[in-house]
Amino acid sequence: MWINMGPQHPMTHGLWNLRVKIDGEIVRDIDPEMGYLHRGIEKISEDRHYNEIITLMDRTCYVAGIAWEHLYIQAAEKALHVVPPERTLYLRVLVEEMQRLASHIMWYAAFVQDLGLMSPFLYGMRDRDLLLDHFQSFTGGRLTYEYMRVGGVRNDLPPGTTDRIRKTMDWLMDRFAEYDRLCLGSQIFRTRCDDLGVLKAKDCVTYGVTGPMLRAAGVKRDLRKDRPYAAYDRLEFDIALADTADVTARYLVRMEEMRQSVRIIRQVVDWLDHHPGPVMAANVPRWLGAPYAPIGHEGYLLKRHYSKGVGLSAIEEPHGEATAYVVNEGGEHPYRVKFRSPVFVNLSAAKSYLVGYHVADIPPIMGSVDVCVGEVDR
Amino acid sequence: MSVQSLYGVASLIATTLASLVPGVPGYLVTLLADLIFGAILLAASMINTIVLIWYERKLLGRFMDRRGAMHVGYAGLLQNFADGLKLFRKNTYMPSEADRLGFYTGPTAYMVSSLVIFGVLPISTGWDNGSLPLSLLLALVIFSFAPLFIFISAWSSNNKYSLMGGMRSAAQMIAYEVPILIAVVAVVVVSGSFDLTTIVMEQQNYWFAIPLVLALIVFVAGMLAEMERIPFDLPEAEAELVEGWNTEYGGMLFAFFMLADYLRALIGSILIVLLFLGGWTLPTYVPSALTNFPLAGIFWFMVKTYLVFGVFVWVRASLPRVRTDQLLRVGWLRMVPLALASVVLAAALVVVKCLPLIGCVPGIGS
Repeated sequence: MWINMGPQHPMTHGLWNLRVKIDGEIVRDIDPEMGYLHRGIEKISEDRHYNEIITLMDRTCYVAGIAWEHLYIQAAEKALHVVPPERTLYLRVLVEEMQRLASHIMWYAAFVQDLGLMSPFLYGMRDRDLLLDHFQSFTGGRLTYEYMRVGGVRNDLPPGTTDRIRKTMDWLMDRFAEYDRLCLGSQIFRTRCDDLGVLKAKDCVTYGVTGPMLRAAGVKRDLRKDRPYAAYDRLEFDIALADTADVTARYLVRMEEMRQSVRIIRQVVDWLDHHPGPVMAANVPRWLGAPYAPIGHEGYLLKRHYSKGVGLSAIEEPHGEATAYVVNEGGEHPYRVKFRSPVFVNLSAAKSYLVGYHVADIPPIMGSVDVCVGEVDR
Repeated sequence: MSVQSLYGVASLIATTLASLVPGVPGYLVTLLADLIFGAILLAASMINTIVLIWYERKLLGRFMDRRGAMHVGYAGLLQNFADGLKLFRKNTYMPSEADRLGFYTGPTAYMVSSLVIFGVLPISTGWDNGSLPLSLLLALVIFSFAPLFIFISAWSSNNKYSLMGGMRSAAQMIAYEVPILIAVVAVVVVSGSFDLTTIVMEQQNYWFAIPLVLALIVFVAGMLAEMERIPFDLPEAEAELVEGWNTEYGGMLFAFFMLADYLRALIGSILIVLLFLGGWTLPTYVPSALTNFPLAGIFWFMVKTYLVFGVFVWVRASLPRVRTDQLLRVGWLRMVPLALASVVLAAALVVVKCLPLIGCVPGIGS
């Protein structure tokens, strides 16, 4: 019997359809259908200014907006030959790690809800709110931030922010211990999640699965270490690893990643306290800040004199490795923008980690993948 | 007949009414008293159920670091009445391919079968006019009808998710009914009776929860499954089955399911109080000031019932859901042996007659 889990289904956490062929309670075959949330972000980008694309990036993944801003802005800066000042790099690491925390806490809340745990869902939402408050204090937004700019970030941190962030990090570290007690301390959690949704390292590499799923299979791969960007090469942290490749392993990897993020954020705020400086590059093209595209002779001159280039950037987004490719053929719009979504790849491999398990196992397995449909469909 | 009990109140009203009309035969007065008793019982159980929902929402809210219902009435006490009124006003839709008979009778029978049980549960001394010698057995039998009605309504909904939920409900029943009944046997062995009133009266010196703690554990776990609450709410697991067997129901029919669910939760808590926690009595050695006030029996009964239900809410707030096959495994491999062990313990208790620190079993061997 084929059943449609989606597009409107509590399991999907977004708008996609998982067609499942079941035999009693056992899953025999699956067929993921994506594309319900396709907004043509790559195509729209071709008609927008470099800085206007940032608003689209926030909407690419609605739980990790600033990470996608970071991804795009790195590629755009390479394509436009802009070098951001050093303080900006640290600020970007700060917001990306805070976004990783917010995204992982959101994942935790949704994942335990799929297992039927009700309280941790609200604990997760409560703790994520603290991070959103910080984002609001220096970007003005709680979900769509529009914080980064080509050549820097929009503004520096308001005074006192670093101390408040330190306080939040202390609070969060205590909460992580509580999360672990609620999940790992529960026998039912272990019987539900152990040996569930196994995707071995070899299959991960074959399918191109990245992020916490890959690290849960024991593959030591993290772009922040392997191909350091921004200021990651100057910060101390470890790659979170597990080796059982099941749902429990993915849980452990994400929890460890959150602790490492806290470690990174503590180092970054210390650095930021002692190194004031500009947050915007000096050589940003003048028209990038203009509210409308320069036209007429001025626009013509800009297009003619501005150098061409391509930019490729890859970051360790909360869900996995994301890549952006920006082609600058001169002018105020990029010629082509292309993104690689990690969740799209992770979802495409669904058949190899869903078939053979029970129907009741589908929500926790898909929860452990951490699906963000906005970035799958783009 | 004392006015301590509810039936006393009902029969007082009936006698007063009968005295207004001369020459009413005695059996009519009794019938009237029974009807009034039934009406009071119905109203009391429904109001209690709705208050129970409020209680769960508030308690769950506190567990989750939020406030729960708080706007309608004092501390949100009227919120559920407002919700009920809303559901009452809603149109009830039936899927065009659904089976009409099963679709409507399923929820109704589910609700009615849950309500009927209140007729046999004694809430205090002299609660019902005369006792039923097999009231425990009757209550458990009616209690276990529910999966059948769930299955009927699930099947007639003609929805794949509903059907899977119904199937799970039927499969689950097999796993928990057996250990529950064996655990009840332990209580029956010690008390020597199937009559709930007698079982309560046997707990004057100590509550059965102390010597029969194994049976209590099995019974509580089984009741969790019987009520279909987390961690055993597989038939309506919203993560994978949308809403399980009540996916297609809306409006008043959904309200029937909702009410019946909480009625059953109330009945489950009441059964635990009656069988293991001394019912409406307190042990004989507590100060008499605690039991010597009007309606003390009902007061202590309510306190115990709400505390037991509070434990269920606590469990719901802190445990994830298990899987069907895991529930079956737990039911057959853990709960059945535990229940059997508790029966053996109960038999040993009857032979020994006395326990250290607890005292002697009254009435056994007589």
